[in-house]
Amino acid sequence: MNRTGFRFALLTAIAFAFAVAAASAQEVAFKDPVGDDKGPGKYTYPTDPVYKAGSFDLTEFKFTVKGDKADVAVTVNSSLEDPWGMKVGFAVQMIFVFIQTDETAGRTTKGLPGLNIQFGPDDGWNRCIILSPQPSARVRGEVEIKAAALQKMIVIPNQVRGSGRTISATVNKKEIGPGDPAKWGYQVVLQSNEGFPDKTDLLTRKVNEYEGQHRFGGGNDGDCDPHVMDILAGHGTGDKSEIEEQYKMLAYECNPDGTSKTMATLKMVRK
Amino acid sequence: MQKGKPLLIGAIVLIGLVAAAPLAAQITIGGTTYTKFLWGNQRDEGALYNFTTVPGEGYGDNGQGTEIELLVNGKLSKKLAIQARIHSRFNQNFWTNYGGFGGTNPAFQNDGQQTPCIGGICGEYDPRSNQYVKLRGVALTLTPGYSWMDTAVIGQQDWGYFDPFVVGRIRYIDRDNQGGILLQGSAANRQLTWDVARISLARIYQGPGFTTGTFVAQDAAYTTQMKYIVNPQFDIGGIFNWIHDVEIDPADKNFDNGLNLLTRYRNNVYGLKAGIHPASAVDVRLQGFYSSTDTNAAFAPTNFCLTGCGYSPVIGGHHTGWSGKADVDLNDPFGMGLSFNLQGFRIGANYSSLLAARRESDVLLTEGHDAAFAFPGPSNASYGVFGGNRTRIGYGGWDGPMQQVATINVDNDFTDFDEPLAETVIGWQGVTFVPVYSKGALEVSGEASYITYDTNWQAFNDASRSIMNTDYPTTELDTGVNHSYRSAFAPFQDKKTYIGVAKAKYTINAGKGIEIFGKVKGIHETDNRMNDARFLPYQAGDCAGGGKACAGNKNSYSPGNTTSDLYGNPPVITVTNPVTGQKETGYQWKPFDSLSDDDRKLNYWMINVGAGYQLTNDLYGSLSYNYYHANLLDGDTAMQGYNLHEMTSGEHRKNQLIARFKYNIAGLSECGLEYQYNWGIFHPDFGGGYVVQYASADVNKNLGFPVGSPGFTGRFGGWNSLLDRNFDQQRLKAYLKVAF
Repeated sequence: MNRTGFRFALLTAIAFAFAVAAASAQEVAFKDPVGDDKGPGKYTYPTDPVYKAGSFDLTEFKFTVKGDKADVAVTVNSSLEDPWGMKVGFAVQMIFVFIQTDETAGRTTKGLPGLNIQFGPDDGWNRCIILSPQPSARVRGEVEIKAAALQKMIVIPNQVRGSGRTISATVNKKEIGPGDPAKWGYQVVLQSNEGFPDKTDLLTRKVNEYEGQHRFGGGNDGDCDPHVMDILAGHGTGDKSEIEEQYKMLAYECNPDGTSKTMATLKMVRK
Repeated sequence: MQKGKPLLIGAIVLIGLVAAAPLAAQITIGGTTYTKFLWGNQRDEGALYNFTTVPGEGYGDNGQGTEIELLVNGKLSKKLAIQARIHSRFNQNFWTNYGGFGGTNPAFQNDGQQTPCIGGICGEYDPRSNQYVKLRGVALTLTPGYSWMDTAVIGQQDWGYFDPFVVGRIRYIDRDNQGGILLQGSAANRQLTWDVARISLARIYQGPGFTTGTFVAQDAAYTTQMKYIVNPQFDIGGIFNWIHDVEIDPADKNFDNGLNLLTRYRNNVYGLKAGIHPASAVDVRLQGFYSSTDTNAAFAPTNFCLTGCGYSPVIGGHHTGWSGKADVDLNDPFGMGLSFNLQGFRIGANYSSLLAARRESDVLLTEGHDAAFAFPGPSNASYGVFGGNRTRIGYGGWDGPMQQVATINVDNDFTDFDEPLAETVIGWQGVTFVPVYSKGALEVSGEASYITYDTNWQAFNDASRSIMNTDYPTTELDTGVNHSYRSAFAPFQDKKTYIGVAKAKYTINAGKGIEIFGKVKGIHETDNRMNDARFLPYQAGDCAGGGKACAGNKNSYSPGNTTSDLYGNPPVITVTNPVTGQKETGYQWKPFDSLSDDDRKLNYWMINVGAGYQLTNDLYGSLSYNYYHANLLDGDTAMQGYNLHEMTSGEHRKNQLIARFKYNIAGLSECGLEYQYNWGIFHPDFGGGYVVQYASADVNKNLGFPVGSPGFTGRFGGWNSLLDRNFDQQRLKAYLKVAF
């Protein structure tokens, strides 16, 4: 083979490899409208300037399976920054990716501690990937204490990265389970990384009635309100109508003593 | 009414309130304990922190101790909450103090002269070693539900609500020491928010000369800011801060109508900010700040000298200045994981905001300089060239690159080597470009920065004045491989800096994922300093050489002003070589007769490689190696560095082997360990034109250099060795934090 022929063969092989890789990757993607980072409609950001506008505004979610790995990528409506020196490219966000796989055994409609949410009867989850800027061992330790009963359903990536506006991680596909990801249900919950959480909160930041330097506002001082800033809704197309659907899902009622009367109930979003 | 009745009624009311309060109140007490282990072969044991510049405070690299913080929160009603922090500090509370018993009473030492309480020696006679507990962060929060106001916070709190260019963070351990009143409100469904604050100034440092004078109770900052999120694509904000430090008018002798006040210091800062987010791939942020500063010479220093009296957190006299930056972020515009950040910035020489963030903020995109070569410089001394002046932080410096803050009031006190360090960027202007590529397990990023300086000037930009009398505090001045972290001003500067960085991180798909990382960084920095011959200290040919004394014909750059006040001529000396017995006669240091005598040129690069692995579910470990190489020309012996600093010209090679571990089990907030082995060499090269001297017994006694070893005695009598200096130091910090 002459030199030109070799180069052609090499380029063809590389192109083929990329094509095969692209073809073999399974991607599930959802979009979420901009400007709905208000939880059930009236939540506000903490007042410290590290919580930049759009930091908790979910705009896109991708779940991509490549071989025995799965990439999770969540995009927000603000450039990521690391004001607290977490050294992973982001700091203020904390993301929970709830997945309902094909497996029906073990599904739960309970939320995770600190989120104050539940899932609808048909929308139970059996896997949750946590994207936190905290070291994975810290997240694991918190789960062990605060969500021990759900520990086996929680997937904690060894490394999470933030770049541009996207927070991503790679997990082993077997940790999520068998089946076709395109047929699964997904829900993505945007929260904030709290290094010193309340005793019952899984590294989550509280929502109070009035926002504070490091507290979301617009909710209730008790634990009856969903501590959630943004989620997927509707068909996950990013249509403006999904804003109202989100507000409906996150609607809640409180008793006078701050306990929950009606808990925010989430649905899975599917392709 | 009988005298006791009001008391009785008051007591009944009080008892009633106290009795009633618990019914409605929810009081929670949480907290943290923090235990620290320091070990190092510098064998300092002054305090449980590696570093301080504060006179009378200890520092050290050895000791163990524990501190506790109790966080008290009370929700008294829907509209009223209280919070407070009760905190002990490490300071000198070593485990070896045995709880702070006994100790030396400083009042009865040295014939009644107070002895510095360092290293816990004063035991229970000094709060810093008797396990004292401090009340901090006491504040009431009112949420009255008014339409015009959301929240009022009265008391001490962290004022990080504002902006690091104007009112920013202070030292973390003292983050909520500052007291004041904050009102916050909103409108238009909280698209519009506002904050108004009155912040009492800290008497110990928030004023010219690191004091607010003698009448301090009314000294305050008045701050307001407003933010308006027009829509997700556009937001705008404004901020204003007015600082007023007052004194009693000494001329007012009439006490009958109260006493008049006069201004000691005034500082106004105005700022405008805007964010433009036209698409998910594009963020644009613009910020601009304008400041004016006025110091009343009757009460505060308005000028500073160059040799040890240049310390102040603000410039003196009247000045106006501005700062600004523009950021453009392109977030993965090609959909392939490649993002770009571009920043243009200018922090004016005269920009002055007394309450700007001192640390724990980073106002610029650039990495800036590396903390491994931050203050105190490479030659392992703390300041100057005299004995009894050992380095504090040690040869390894601090970890990582520095953070940038827009003030000369930089604070890195009470830090350990593993903590981030801040450097001033007053005067910096330039551009930074940062590309980041992230895809799957690979992350690659870089930086290219060009920086020039608004502080590039001759004779502090005012040739009509003596350089020994300036409005600009010079602090430790511009010496060291990089520079002192808080010195922004030099009398002569003509400087530019190029910074280039490339770094990568990749996770190998093996086991739990082997993380490998590396970095290359280069800095090229030049500073011609004096660049106009009219500023040379003496007339041409003043020192003829050949063993002849200099004539001493001074050169004036303006009537009555000459740089010979600083760069005095050398005497002629005769030195006998202790080995050969030969005698040499000449100048003690090179006469300052050329514009090149003070030139500075730094060629600096570093590499970092390492790997990390989650060893068990609970234990993460990493091992890394850093190599730093700096070729530095920092003036010859004519220059000798400003402010009595030890000379740093020559070749510097520093190595660091670093092992880090993080341990997490359920319930632990933080637990980690960092061990460093630092070694390297400083090969001095101070040029020629002077007679080499040989260390005396006194030099040996005071500084440790061998008798007969080469060096030279500088303008102020300090010894600069010409020997290679070999460094070999180890240190360790382990910590354990538990929240409860």
